[in-house]
Amino acid sequence: MTDIAVIGGGIVGMCLARELAMAGRDVTLLDSGHHAGTTANAGSLHVQMQSRFLRMYPELVPNLEASLPLYPEAARRWRLLAEDLGADIELRQSGGLMVCETAEHYEFLAQKCRREQALGLQVEMLDRAALRRVAPYLGDAVHGAELCAEEGKLNPLLANEALRRDLQARGVPYHIGHRIARIEAVREALLLHGTDGSVIRAGRVVLAAGAGSGALAGSLGAPLPTVAEPLHMNITEATAPLILHLVQHAERMITLKQLAAGQVVIGGGWPARFAGPQDFPTVEAASLVGNLSLAQHIVPPIGGLRLLRSWAGVNTTADGQCILGPLPQEPRVHVAVPGDAGYTLGPLVASMAAALLLGRDPGFATDRFTPARFSRAASG
Amino acid sequence: MTLDFEGRAIAVRPGQSLAAALTEAGVLDLRDTRRGPGGRGLYCGMGACQDCVMVVDGVPNTRACMTKAVSGQQVMRQPHPAPLPQRTTGTRPLALEDLPEETPELLVVGGGAGGLAAALAARRAGVEVLLVDERGIPGGQYYKQAMPGLAPMDAQQSEGAALLAACREAGVRILDGTEVWGAFAPLLFLATRHGQTLRLRPRAAVLATGAQERALPFPGWTLPGVMTTGAAQTLWRSYRTLPGRRVLVAGNGPLNLQVALELAAGGAQVVAVAEASSGLRPLALARMLRAAPKLAAKGLGMLVTLRRHGIPLRRGRLLRSVTRTADGALLAELDDGTRHTVDAVLCGYGFQPETALLRAIGATHAMQDGLLRPQRDAQMQTSMEGLYAVGDGCGLGGAPAALAEGEIAGLAAARALGRSAPSDAPVRASLVRHRAFQDALWQVFRAPFPGLVLAQPETLVCRCEEVTLAQIDAAIAAGPGDIGEVKRRTRCGMGRCQGRYCAPLLAARMGVDDSFAPRVPARPVRISDLLGS
Repeated sequence: MTDIAVIGGGIVGMCLARELAMAGRDVTLLDSGHHAGTTANAGSLHVQMQSRFLRMYPELVPNLEASLPLYPEAARRWRLLAEDLGADIELRQSGGLMVCETAEHYEFLAQKCRREQALGLQVEMLDRAALRRVAPYLGDAVHGAELCAEEGKLNPLLANEALRRDLQARGVPYHIGHRIARIEAVREALLLHGTDGSVIRAGRVVLAAGAGSGALAGSLGAPLPTVAEPLHMNITEATAPLILHLVQHAERMITLKQLAAGQVVIGGGWPARFAGPQDFPTVEAASLVGNLSLAQHIVPPIGGLRLLRSWAGVNTTADGQCILGPLPQEPRVHVAVPGDAGYTLGPLVASMAAALLLGRDPGFATDRFTPARFSRAASG
Repeated sequence: MTLDFEGRAIAVRPGQSLAAALTEAGVLDLRDTRRGPGGRGLYCGMGACQDCVMVVDGVPNTRACMTKAVSGQQVMRQPHPAPLPQRTTGTRPLALEDLPEETPELLVVGGGAGGLAAALAARRAGVEVLLVDERGIPGGQYYKQAMPGLAPMDAQQSEGAALLAACREAGVRILDGTEVWGAFAPLLFLATRHGQTLRLRPRAAVLATGAQERALPFPGWTLPGVMTTGAAQTLWRSYRTLPGRRVLVAGNGPLNLQVALELAAGGAQVVAVAEASSGLRPLALARMLRAAPKLAAKGLGMLVTLRRHGIPLRRGRLLRSVTRTADGALLAELDDGTRHTVDAVLCGYGFQPETALLRAIGATHAMQDGLLRPQRDAQMQTSMEGLYAVGDGCGLGGAPAALAEGEIAGLAAARALGRSAPSDAPVRASLVRHRAFQDALWQVFRAPFPGLVLAQPETLVCRCEEVTLAQIDAAIAAGPGDIGEVKRRTRCGMGRCQGRYCAPLLAARMGVDDSFAPRVPARPVRISDLLGS
């Protein structure tokens, strides 16, 4: 029996359990331990809007702009969390560049930049000459870039471990390898049925299980269209400090950064797939070749590095926005699933979810994030 | 012919590896590590451990053991972290389809005994076969071919040369210097050859990827000059380079005895062979003699020759530690307290199958004696249709067994590809004999694998990321988690060797039958090699 059970031991679940423990609540953290998304994070701190999405889906612009203020705050929360944990998680807000290759795309970025400035972001445009000065590692193909000062990177291995140790020190029960198959609501409690046949009784439950949240909400009759999206990631061997910024491309799928220990992490949304009887997230050859060749196109010295490892991280998508708050069908069950850039948003989303659960002010208007929107869509 | 090593001219013999040329010149310390200078040298000698990476002609992270020494080459010790050459122009982005493609009926990966036998059997049954091998000259670790211009050293090398010639004559296409690093279901392989990446799309494939020495951490095991027995054997058999003038050999199994004798015959002073197994087991000896009288006699002959060379065989003894003395020599101490001052220490504590490609593609494996092995049917087919695995890459069986398994797989693949192939009954019978011999042989040499028994708290378990035993124990004690969780807590297994050497050690320490999740690439691949020159 626990007062609050948090399902999902990723960045959101760990931060949430921590906030609830700090608020003096009896909280238990449950994690399936099944190649969970969090254990494969890339550690980018994203703030600016994705130029490519704005061009491809103009109808989503209002949603994206509405969520935009979350991101600088999320980066700030990471900084506070790092200080609070007292651990070096190699957090660097060293700026993020969204590069482009043509004058036309530069103009589109410049429009985005003006809009983001109006919305309070620390962004500026850098033409070819200015870019050479701040990012000499970029190749001749790069025409210009938008620089966002608040963006950056951190080492997710160190951050996740620091959080785990912090939870341990606070005495929060953390069950790894405990997979919840379904939730049953009875009058006096919620019954969490494990795949191993076990039952945990909880007063309230928070679904922080990323893409796995949908099925758990579904067991209570609540529609929650979370989809697991396996994405290709790469890491190289270490090299001397070369790439200061988080680098993205305005029009192509590429994100790269150099960790403090010198390795370059390369991703950007290239697809992977679930394979085999265990649904193991598995990389695809086409993504590996496409992603890495693009990386050296943008940052030519990368060609001299060797790829050490590729893996598939698991992103969660629903409608591009966060899902926060109680299920209309069962208000004792809350949801805490970040929208785009889940690791960046993790600590902030956890804090907002904790506030909603505790009846406090989440600091942001959360109406548009309510899980009820999917029930309305389903019935309408 | 000379190369330039940091301003010093070093003699090069044509065909020699860079590691051999440097060893011959007494250069053992090849790179720094995160912990500072005075780091690492040649260890596995076969392209797996990645410890011998150097800056060659301005390109960092180049393996000395797999790179040919060339006159005029500019070679430098590799600092940490190694800076990259300046480059401002990248090539245009590529798609998978832009890579050159090969579509043989049968692809054989690995040109050792198993791979050559598979290729030959399938080719003789009329199959179009492409064999790829990572070394400059195929032959694998048993047949270890000599560099051009050297006559075969003995029957072992000439048998390999004959098998290679038979493959060529039969019409097997052979690509040397080709490293397969990607394996994707159902049957797509990515390989790099001379700075160009190839797509290999066969209808069937035989993986004959061999084995590497098991890692045995002890204080000093990462010092330059401490290498595997196999690395030293390659230096001598392939390049006629001695690993040092005075040599100590320590480990378990017959290869150590063979290499000690080869080096002694080559002029090295072998100060001792420390053998972990403690005594002759008459029953096992008798079984070995019955299974393969010739091989058994050869083995017993080695003991006699060892005595004739005056090389002491220390039975039931382990190497306890190695330190570097003030004058640059190595001081090795056995667990009986005896000390030996030498130039090189060779370690061979058995082998582990090379399973990275098979695991990456998704073939089912099972743990046996702490090591992962692919599951196969009687035709050597893995859990995946059309994918066969043979030889020491499936568990140590020795070269004769690998030859038999290769032939069985080659014939089975030919049949699956619609050819009529001769019966495999005779070769199956020989496989039974070879396996009986191997069983008896390892009964003779039976000794528990020491694992981390010799390691001290500050001894590195993960060579690449420099993770100590104390750090690993702390991470295990820090709370529940599987082997992947301990990897993420410590970085153990995240380095250049991709966890090959430390995974079995960590699993044993945790008491679990598990390994790190399979990852592509199976070997580090240079990003510019993906894109062609």
